[in-house]
Amino acid sequence: MAQRRGSVLLVMPLLVLTLFLVGCPKRPATPVASAPAPTGSALAPAPGAGPSTAPSAPGSSSGPTAMAPSPAAPGTAAPAPGTPPRPSEFSENSNLKDVFFDFDKYDIRADDAKILDGNAGWLKSNANNLVLIEGHCDERGTNEYNLALGERRAKATMNYLVSQGIQANRITIISYGKERPVCSEKSEGCWQKNRRAHFLVKAR
Amino acid sequence: MSASRRLAVVAVLLVAGAMWFVLPPVRSARSQAPDVLLNVLGGGAKKLNLFMPDFTVVGAPDPSGLSRSLAEVTAADLKFSALFSVVGGQPPLPAANPEALKKAWTDAAAAGAHAALHGLLMPRADRLEGELRLYDLTSPELRLIATKKMAVVPTEPRRLAHKMADEVVLQFTGEAGVADTKIAYVAPRDGTKEIGVMDYDGVGAVPLTANQSINLSPRWSPDARSLAFTSYMRGYPYLYRLFAFERRPVQLLAGFLGINSSPAWSPDGKQVALTLSKDGNPEIYVLTLATGAFRRLTTHPGIDTEPNWSPTGREIAFVSDRAGPAQVFVMDVEGTNVRRLTQAGFNTQPRWSPKGDAISYTSRQGPHDIWIVAPDGSNVRRLTTGPGDSESSSWAPNGRHLAFQSTRQRGPRIYTMLPDGSEQQPVPNGPAEAASPAWSPRLP
Repeated sequence: MAQRRGSVLLVMPLLVLTLFLVGCPKRPATPVASAPAPTGSALAPAPGAGPSTAPSAPGSSSGPTAMAPSPAAPGTAAPAPGTPPRPSEFSENSNLKDVFFDFDKYDIRADDAKILDGNAGWLKSNANNLVLIEGHCDERGTNEYNLALGERRAKATMNYLVSQGIQANRITIISYGKERPVCSEKSEGCWQKNRRAHFLVKAR
Repeated sequence: MSASRRLAVVAVLLVAGAMWFVLPPVRSARSQAPDVLLNVLGGGAKKLNLFMPDFTVVGAPDPSGLSRSLAEVTAADLKFSALFSVVGGQPPLPAANPEALKKAWTDAAAAGAHAALHGLLMPRADRLEGELRLYDLTSPELRLIATKKMAVVPTEPRRLAHKMADEVVLQFTGEAGVADTKIAYVAPRDGTKEIGVMDYDGVGAVPLTANQSINLSPRWSPDARSLAFTSYMRGYPYLYRLFAFERRPVQLLAGFLGINSSPAWSPDGKQVALTLSKDGNPEIYVLTLATGAFRRLTTHPGIDTEPNWSPTGREIAFVSDRAGPAQVFVMDVEGTNVRRLTQAGFNTQPRWSPKGDAISYTSRQGPHDIWIVAPDGSNVRRLTTGPGDSESSSWAPNGRHLAFQSTRQRGPRIYTMLPDGSEQQPVPNGPAEAASPAWSPRLP
């Protein structure tokens, strides 16, 4: 009996080896302990994130449960120096023109430098306005990488405006990565429209 | 069993299992059972033939038909494992009638089955109990090789079926299956993107966020209780943590100026690697949860993002454009010893396999496809070949499957495949549009 079982157990790893090219070194023990409960102000609750329903918990007898909304709490995890106004507080201004970028690039094109000169001129003569620069990408590439790429585009745009004499403390940047395209066709013409820096303003 | 009935069983087995390896009805080789199995493998058949009649409900009526419905769930799980060819659908067997069981197993063995699963269900007032009995039909005595009892809350009967399947896989391979796991995902909704979670087979999808903003990059903590993710719920892309199964508020993990994105849990769950641009450009940092302290790992003027921890905790794969188009690099966890892993194309989304022997990633050489490479850069293989874009791979906790998103049928959907690229199939039952799958670790 014991022999039989041993045989089966010996055969089955062969089956696995046969099926998978990827080798199977023994996995290191994975601790199952949860991360220590955050304490103090390091990790703060966030508002507005509660889902309408939660999945049934493994082992719980409850069905969908509403996650308790948490009170608004200051973002004490990583306080931004001079927390910027929310993006929703900024609005469109037709005097500020978009600039566009080459695929997977974040340097300012020569033609677009002229556009930015114009934008800088308007900002100088409207000094009571703050500006939000949105960095955007086309749909190609992955979400996380495009988030970084959009950040670089917004930052490059900001740096150019600063080099033209706009105070850095008037400028806020935000990357939307590939998440907010203005055009959804799969064509270079459309992708080019999406690879952009866009401007919004807000009175001080 | 009459001869005609036996033939009928053989016919059923032939039809139901495409890979079914039918042995002679009377097998003289039965006394050399292991050889038979080896012969099956050597003969090109890939799967073990498992016979599993509908589950036997003991000591209670079965008004909701769990006997059949749960057996179907277990059978689907075992087929998904790609280890078994399953024949089911037969009426339940008596719980304690040795002669009847022996006859059933004998007939199944004669029809080519290598093993039999007899599942028993015992509904109680406060729980649903199950018992699994596994038989080796290649042994002359049709030996019982494993029994296992388990229980779930009555509201989650499918979970019992999943646990049975995982136990069968454990008995035959030494490592449990992944049927009792979940997949988190990102779903577009009315111009926003919300994170949801479903069973690994797409059943029971529910939202985890409902903040009407953009939510991205769900990543399970190693204890499978919480997910880190990026959200614009406060306007800017900050990093948060939500608790998937508890009434606990969402935590802010990082809310610096710039991007706070691309979380990756350390294997011990005590740290989260992430991308911050607070110091000028996207760099990789490590957050220690207990202290809230951030430690910077990269210092390159280009883009550094998408960290992904090796299962040993000693190395971090990441994406950088420091050498031109984005490539996958690996560094020691101190940020030192940076070496380039990928060469051709535009490569992002590195995901270390749970056993540490491979790194899957997304390569754009025209369309996006999932590729895989050994951690030393050798053995580069392409796993998907379109149509459409395939990206955002995520390993099952046993390393035997990958989930990924693909647009091969219009909008993004979540698919699964084996690490050799075979068995590509959409997750059944899931949301119509879903992307960025995150396969959970084993559930608590």
